[in-house]
Amino acid sequence: MKIDAPRQYVIDNLKYALNPSSIAVVGASRYSSKVGYKVIEGLKNWGYKGTIYPVNPRANQIGGLRAYKTILDIPGPVDLVFVAVPAHLVKMVLEHAVTKKAKIVVIATSAFKEIGRVDLQDRLTQFCRDSRLPLIGPNLVGMGSPYLNFNCGFIPYLPIKGPVAMISQSGANLLAALGASKTTNFGMSFFVGLGNKADVDFSEFIVYAENDSNTKCLAIYLEGMDSPEAFIKACRSVVPKKPVVTIKVGGSQIGVKAAFAHTASENQGTSDDYFDKIFEQCGAIRATTWQEFLDISLALGMQPELKGDRIVMITNGGGSGLLSCDHFERCGVPMHELKVMSPNLGQRIRTYMPMFGSPLNPVDIAGTASPVQYKGALRQAMRDSNVDMVYCSICPTAVTDVPAVVDVAIEMYDTYKYLGKPFVMECQGGAECHEAIMKLRDHGIPAYPTPEQAVNAIVALRKYAKIKEKLAKR
Amino acid sequence: MPENAKPAPAYLLGTDEKQKWMGDYFFAPRGLGFLEPGIVGLDDAKMSAYNVAKSSYQIHPEVFNMDYLSKAVGLGRDEIIQRMHRLYDEHLIVYVMNPAVSVYGWGLYYWLVKLREGTAPETKAKLAEWFQDKDDICTGYECKGDFDFFNGNHMRVIDNLLADVIEPWKNNPEVEYVHLCPIRRCLRESHINMFDFSGEGYREVVWGKDELAKLAKHQDKMDMLDLKILQALNAKRPMEEVFDFKVLSEISGLDPKEMLSGIKELVETKRIIVPLFHLNFMKLGLTNHVFVIRLFQNVPCCRKAQITDELSRIAEFNTIMEFSDSFYDIIAWAYNEVNDIKALKEKIYSYSEIEDVKEADMNRMFRRWVCRLDDQNGFWEECMFTDDFLQDRTEKNGVRCCHARKEGE
Repeated sequence: MKIDAPRQYVIDNLKYALNPSSIAVVGASRYSSKVGYKVIEGLKNWGYKGTIYPVNPRANQIGGLRAYKTILDIPGPVDLVFVAVPAHLVKMVLEHAVTKKAKIVVIATSAFKEIGRVDLQDRLTQFCRDSRLPLIGPNLVGMGSPYLNFNCGFIPYLPIKGPVAMISQSGANLLAALGASKTTNFGMSFFVGLGNKADVDFSEFIVYAENDSNTKCLAIYLEGMDSPEAFIKACRSVVPKKPVVTIKVGGSQIGVKAAFAHTASENQGTSDDYFDKIFEQCGAIRATTWQEFLDISLALGMQPELKGDRIVMITNGGGSGLLSCDHFERCGVPMHELKVMSPNLGQRIRTYMPMFGSPLNPVDIAGTASPVQYKGALRQAMRDSNVDMVYCSICPTAVTDVPAVVDVAIEMYDTYKYLGKPFVMECQGGAECHEAIMKLRDHGIPAYPTPEQAVNAIVALRKYAKIKEKLAKR
Repeated sequence: MPENAKPAPAYLLGTDEKQKWMGDYFFAPRGLGFLEPGIVGLDDAKMSAYNVAKSSYQIHPEVFNMDYLSKAVGLGRDEIIQRMHRLYDEHLIVYVMNPAVSVYGWGLYYWLVKLREGTAPETKAKLAEWFQDKDDICTGYECKGDFDFFNGNHMRVIDNLLADVIEPWKNNPEVEYVHLCPIRRCLRESHINMFDFSGEGYREVVWGKDELAKLAKHQDKMDMLDLKILQALNAKRPMEEVFDFKVLSEISGLDPKEMLSGIKELVETKRIIVPLFHLNFMKLGLTNHVFVIRLFQNVPCCRKAQITDELSRIAEFNTIMEFSDSFYDIIAWAYNEVNDIKALKEKIYSYSEIEDVKEADMNRMFRRWVCRLDDQNGFWEECMFTDDFLQDRTEKNGVRCCHARKEGE
C-alpha cells in the first residue's frame, strides 16, 4: 500500500527485523521437511543467540524448545513475529501480535493479493498501520545478516560478510545471490525479501541501510513500485553517502502479468522510461541483467566512485584489452590513449614490458608478463596523478604465475588505497582464475571473469561519481 | 485452442451433466487429480471454512456453532468451550476431513500384514516403527490376532504403493503375507456414515444401543456430556449450524457468505468431503475389534453390496468399508469393551455367502486421515499428505512429495 514518505516508526522498528532479542515463529513445525521447522533450524544453526518461541497449538515441543499455542501464551516479550501459517490464519496472528505489543511482524505466507485477495491484504495492512506494527511481506522468503549471525526464514544460506545490502522482492533471486555469496565471495551486510511489500516499503529499508555501518552499497530488486515519491525521497537522502543499484523487472508485455502473479506488483500503465526517470531523479544506477546487478553492486560496495574518465588498463592479453575498450565506448566512457592522459606514463610503463608489448591503452604488457612486470606497471599507473583509476587484467598463459600476479595486485592496491582511486580486476580463464577472483574479492578488490563485467562495474563507479556531482549542485 | 482440439468435458460430478455422460458410457467417471471438473484442491477457497476451523479449533473451539451445540447438549456456551479445550488438550478428539477418495481420483488401498508365528516382539516393533514413520501411510494400526497390521494409503498408482511402501519390507523373513484391500465403498468411518452409505443415511452419526452410556461408564476421561458434545459436533445438520461463520470470518478475514456457500457445496451438494471429529478411542481404553470378511468368489458383486449394506445397518460397527479386487470384501470394526463382539460375530457368520473372517484387535494407532495420532512421540495431529500424483515411486531416488521426510530423519 502506498506511502508518501518513509515512516519513522517503521524505520525505528526495522532493527527488530534483523536483530531481535526474541522471535515467535508462528506455524513452527515438528516436521523437519516443513517451512515452520526450517525457520527455527536456520535460526539455531546460524547462531542466533536470542530467544526463540515456537508457536503451534498442536505441539508441546518443537526442535527441543517449548511450544506455545498462541503468541499470547508466550511469557516474555516478543520483538519479531515470523508468520508461516496459511493465509486464513494471518488475521488472527496479527491481532495477537498487536496485543502482545510485538515490534515487527514478518509474513512468509503466500496467497494474498498475488492471487486476487486484494481486499484481505489491504485490510490486514491497514490494521497493522493503525496499530503501528510494521509488517514485512507477505509472500517472502526471509531476512538476515552475516554480521549478526542471523538468518530468519526458509533460507539455506547465510552470505559472507560484505558491503552490499540486498533488498529484494523476489525470494528466488535473493536466494540465488545468497547461494552464490560464498562461492563467488559476494559479501553482504544484510538481506531482506519484501515479497508483496504490503506495508514496509523499499524506501524504509533504504533509510535503514543508510544508517547501517556495514552497508556500503544498496542493491534493490524491484517488481513494482507503489510509492515512487517515498522511493525518491529515501534515495536522495542515501545516495550522497552510499550508492543505490536497482534492477526493475516486469516491464515486458507478459512480464507485467507475471509480476502481478508473483508479488502482486502493479505495472500497468508504466514503462521502462517511467522507471528510468524515477531512478534518474533519485540517483539510482539501474542494471538491466541480474549479472550486471550483482557485478556493479559489488564494485560500488567495495570501491570509491570514479571521479574522472582517465582509466588505465594493464593487461597481459591483447584480446581482453580489445573487448574492454570496445565495451567502454559502447557504454559511453571511451578510453583514452596513455599519451593523451599522461605524456610520460607510457614511457615509464614501457620498462615493464617486452619490445612487442603496447603502451597504448589498453596497456598490453604481453602474454609473457611476470609478476615483477605487473607490479611495475601497476605502480606506475597508480602513482600517476593524471590517472583516475587502474583496471588490471590477467590472462593465464603457460608462463603466467596467476597467484603471484594476484598477490602483486593486492599489494599494490593496499599500498595506494589512500589515493582514493578505484581498482578493478578481470581474470579470464579456468580454475586458477576463479581462485584469483575469490582472493581478490576477499581483499576488497572487485574482480570478474569477463572484460564486459569488469567494464560494467567501472562504468557504474563513474556513473556514481557523476550522480554525486549532480546532487551536490542541487 | 487449436481448431481440432476437443474442449474438456463439461460434466460436473453430481449433476445432470454427469447423467448425460452416463448415456454414452457404462461406467461412472472417476476423478483424476485436482483438475477433474467439479473437484477442488484441498486449499481451494471452497475449503476455507473447514481449513480455518481445522487450523484454529485447538485455540478457538467457538469456530463451531455454539448456539446449536448449546441447545443440543443442554450446556452453556462457556462450559462447552471449556470442555472442548480439555478434550483437545488431552488428545481425546481430533478434527479431520474424509475426502471421497474415489471421486478425488486417489486409490485408497488398505493392506493387511501377517507376520509368521514366533516372530520376535522386537522384530514386530521394528516394523511398527517403520510404519509409524512412513509418511506415505495415511492410516495405520498395529493389531493382535489373525493379522498384525492394518494400514492404508492414498495413492493413484498401485505400482507406487508396491514399490515405495510395500517393497522395502515385503520380503523380510518374518512376513507371512501382505494382502491388498482396495476400497470400493466407504460406508462409515468413526461412527459417521459416509458418501457410499446407501439410502439417506449420509452424514448420520451412528452409535450402538446403549453404547455411549457404556462408554461413559467404561472410563473417566469423557463423561456423558463430553460424549454428547462429540455427538452433536458430528451430527448431520446444515453447514450453517456446523460452523459459526462470524467467528471463522473474524479469525480469517474471509467473507462468511463465500465460506458458507463453498463448504455447503462440497459437503452437502457434491458430497465429496465429510469433516468430522474423530474419537481417540485408545485414550479411552478402548480397542477396536476388526472383522475382515471374505465372501466366496462366486458371490456376485450386487449381492456383495447388499451384504455390506446390511452389515452397515448394525450400529455397533463404527467403521465399515467394502473392498474391491481383493481376497477380502468387507471390513467392519467395533469396540471390544462396550459391545457384544460375540453377538456381532454370530451376525456376520449367519451369512452363508461368507467364506472366511479374519479377526484382530487394534492395540496401537499410527495415523488416520493423513494425521499422526502418536501423541506418545509428540506428533499429535501433525498432518502429512503425501499424494503420489505425478510421481514415479518405482524409480529409486525419484521425485518425492516436497514435505515427505527421508527415512531416518
